[in-house]
Amino acid sequence: MIWFALTLLAFALGVVLQLHLQSRPLLRTLLNPTLLATVLVGIVLLLTRTSYDTYTRATEPISAFLAPAVVALAVPLYRLRGLLARQWRALLLGGAAGTLAGVALDTLLPRALGLSPDVQRALATAPATSPVALQLADITGATPALAATLAVLSGLLGALILPAFLTRLGVRHPLARGIALGAVAHGIGTARAREEGELTGAASSIGMGLAALVVTLVVAARG
Amino acid sequence: MTSQTAALPPAVRVVLGLGVLVGFAALGEGLMRLLHWPLPGSVVGMVLLLLALGSRVVRLHWIEPAADGLLGILGLLFVPATVGAIQFLGAGAEWGLWLLVMVAGLLLGAGVAGWLAGRLVRD
Repeated sequence: MIWFALTLLAFALGVVLQLHLQSRPLLRTLLNPTLLATVLVGIVLLLTRTSYDTYTRATEPISAFLAPAVVALAVPLYRLRGLLARQWRALLLGGAAGTLAGVALDTLLPRALGLSPDVQRALATAPATSPVALQLADITGATPALAATLAVLSGLLGALILPAFLTRLGVRHPLARGIALGAVAHGIGTARAREEGELTGAASSIGMGLAALVVTLVVAARG
Repeated sequence: MTSQTAALPPAVRVVLGLGVLVGFAALGEGLMRLLHWPLPGSVVGMVLLLLALGSRVVRLHWIEPAADGLLGILGLLFVPATVGAIQFLGAGAEWGLWLLVMVAGLLLGAGVAGWLAGRLVRD
């Protein structure tokens, strides 16, 4: 029970700190509530020598909401259906091309660097949302926990670095920014995209759904 | 129907919405198990819910409070999984290479998606 409480409180602390950093964009990005909660909980687990299994069991009630939250992404999509139907070309083609480029690099670069086969398999599904990466681990033969962790970390990294990167690239349209975040940074990227506005969030959830399908098809095609 | 749902206590509206959302997640999961397709049930559930909303089988106001609540704390729901990183601290210096690969994939993928979508957006 204490791990459940600690996780909720660490995340809430992250949100509170972020609200107090409205005028400091860089610090605000670095103090992502997911990242802060992960680091705090991780440190306490290591200090108390608590196993990850114990922690996973204690926080099952949180994980149980992951699937309905993914389903809930249909709500912003439905609210903006008119606009999204008009912009399908940008969203579908942009998202699919981005995810494919990400998967290609995540597949080829580990091979070039000579990383172990297990890590190669886990990295290849990183652009898909963590529940998808978990299910795909059964097909690719990757260690499920590693595949999920790298997928989540990839989303976290994406949420941290991509908004500024896209701005530097001159990508300013909310739909283009959203689809770019969703195509490679899935759930956490979508949470970050929603901070920029509902339009960005909706485009990101389309990108996330599309990325799940693209990565699944790539894995199926290679399998 | 709108007035009937609005008359419900707020907590019950959340419970109603959660029931529908979890139901669609279960539906997607069950369908994929039946068809033996390697697709995640929750993503299939999202597509099914979108179709149900479009055909008015499900009304938006049934699920809005629950959906907005869940999406508002999306970042929390990933924490139990991200904490799993502590199991792989033993990989040590290799983490640098893993992060390098992820950053490279993120920058190329998001760059391609953002650039292409930006060009294809209709004003």
